[in-house]
Amino acid sequence: IPLIYINIILTFTISLLKILIYHSHLISSLLYLKKIILSLFIITTLTTLNTHSLLTNIIPITILIFTTYKTTINLTLLISISNTYNLNYIHNLNLLQY
Amino acid sequence: FILMLSLALGTMITITSNHWVTAWAGLEINTLAIIPLISKSHHPRAIEAATKYFLTQATASALMLFSSMTNAWSSGQWDITQLTNPPSCLLLTAAIAIKLGLTPFHFWFPEVLQGSSLTTALLLSTAMKLPPTTILLLTSHSLNPTLLSTMAIMSIALGGWMGLNQTQTRKILAFSSISHLGWMTIIITYNPKLTLLTFYLYSLMTTSIFLSMNSTNTLKLSTLMTSWTKAPMLNTTLMLTLLSLAGLPPLTGFLPKWLIIQELTKQEMTTTATIISMLSLLGLFFYLRLTYCSTITLPPNSSNKMKQWSIKKPVNTLTPTL
Repeated sequence: IPLIYINIILTFTISLLKILIYHSHLISSLLYLKKIILSLFIITTLTTLNTHSLLTNIIPITILIFTTYKTTINLTLLISISNTYNLNYIHNLNLLQY
Repeated sequence: FILMLSLALGTMITITSNHWVTAWAGLEINTLAIIPLISKSHHPRAIEAATKYFLTQATASALMLFSSMTNAWSSGQWDITQLTNPPSCLLLTAAIAIKLGLTPFHFWFPEVLQGSSLTTALLLSTAMKLPPTTILLLTSHSLNPTLLSTMAIMSIALGGWMGLNQTQTRKILAFSSISHLGWMTIIITYNPKLTLLTFYLYSLMTTSIFLSMNSTNTLKLSTLMTSWTKAPMLNTTLMLTLLSLAGLPPLTGFLPKWLIIQELTKQEMTTTATIISMLSLLGLFFYLRLTYCSTITLPPNSSNKMKQWSIKKPVNTLTPTL
């Protein structure tokens, strides 16, 4: 049913825009990244379950596996940033301008 | 050492992929492997570079996955060479442009190169460009030529313009790589083999420059001026490789530019060819400034040979004589 599909595409686009236009914290952009990939995961499960092909069922599981890699690296980078910086704001990322 | 292995593994996975998920997986493995390399020295600049790199690459890979998914929804194909859905083609070009560092998505690239050490910057600008270019090559018949050519022309322009005021050598090399990427992507819809050729030659030249800069540890223009004391032969070969990067005729860097201009004129795009060659003059200025600073200037206090470093010289002497 295309209506559910349009809804999930909307979540994808809105979270993508939220990444590009961030508020003040870095954590929010990471959260919306996670949300993007979750929406993609839902789309893949829908497509693979509607077309009853057995080979494409592997795709959502592998996506989940790689997202776990990504999120761990996310969080380690966050920790290292909070160790070296005082705050978590995006305005602090201006060291490399010079 | 494991990181290098995983880098090689990731690139191999993307190169030998015919399914979108394997390409995406290889790209993710590459980003995973490079981020600890970038942030190895626990300097705040390095960590900041790592976060910027990570954010941009993660969004780009998510966009790529989304384009493959819309294509799969509309056509049922997860094959890389069968991109039939036009909006997914657009999204894919945008995603790969973010990954490569084409304009208008180039903003992360100089800062990330500046924050990483010279060898990791080398890896970033040559090895990490390889998988997205292979994806571009695989899908080159279904890409959007107008978007690509506009992005390429803008990237050549921006690479030339913004490199004019830089004093840090890594940022200069970042803008040179942006302009070379523009040269690579302008020809991809017409003759993909030329993009491969430019990529190989560009990677050769930049590896030699990075390694020579690594041996003399020149991060600023001022240290370039005093580097002739350490190894004079290295300086002369550095000058030659810089000039070949600029694309001067007797050296090898001119070959891809010549072939690209020839191919563009075959496709009746002579205005773009002239615009490109005019804009590469901007890049020529800072290449010339680099060569001038490295070879012709003398330091205020004369100092003879100070120390001998271990140098990866044979790469340097090969590239001008190719």
